[in-house]
Amino acid sequence: MAQASSEAVLVTLPADVDLHARPAADFVRTAMGFSADVQVAAGERQVDAKSLLSVLALGAKGGTELRLTAAGEDAAAALDALSARVLSLTD
Amino acid sequence: MVGIVVVSHSSELAEGLAALAAQMAGPEVRIEPAGGLPNGELGTDEDRVRAAIRAADQGAGVVVLGDLGSAILTVRHVLERHNGNGSVRLVDAPIVEGAVAAAVTASANMSLDDVARSAEEARGAGKL
Repeated sequence: MAQASSEAVLVTLPADVDLHARPAADFVRTAMGFSADVQVAAGERQVDAKSLLSVLALGAKGGTELRLTAAGEDAAAALDALSARVLSLTD
Repeated sequence: MVGIVVVSHSSELAEGLAALAAQMAGPEVRIEPAGGLPNGELGTDEDRVRAAIRAADQGAGVVVLGDLGSAILTVRHVLERHNGNGSVRLVDAPIVEGAVAAAVTASANMSLDDVARSAEEARGAGKL
């Protein structure tokens, strides 16, 4: 069995996109595509990146730096995909 | 893909919530409203619930949410008679948050268990 890996990246939300409604759903949907445990933090708060309501409650505004961490076999792939998704979010 | 049914005493509430959830989940998830009585009054109707479940079912199961009291009783009554091998799941969740969370989870092609769990987790999710 492959060794579970743990990874972290920083990525900044596009200036004109808040992590709410449809952008939050797009973000969560991407996270759900991986088996890794994925967390997203904005400021002091960190939540499960696969929980829509938790991600909505983060209230991250456009331009906020998000810290993504993942643990599990496909952690690196999850972070690659999620970082790319964040950068391509539109309102 | 798992389907979603929202049962409300109000047809406007059920339809508005289905529209809100669909906006976040995208066009592939079937989110069916079952609200109000056929005469336009407030209430819940077994035939409407049954039709909504049929319309939402794409073979991967259906998660049903109800608003208050007798909406839950109506759904239970429908499911007592027909619950295709447990593939229709009534969940205990706040209807707005639960339906939106369930619809988005369904849109990621997750299982019936995952979709039901995401709705029920809405009970403990803070908004602030």
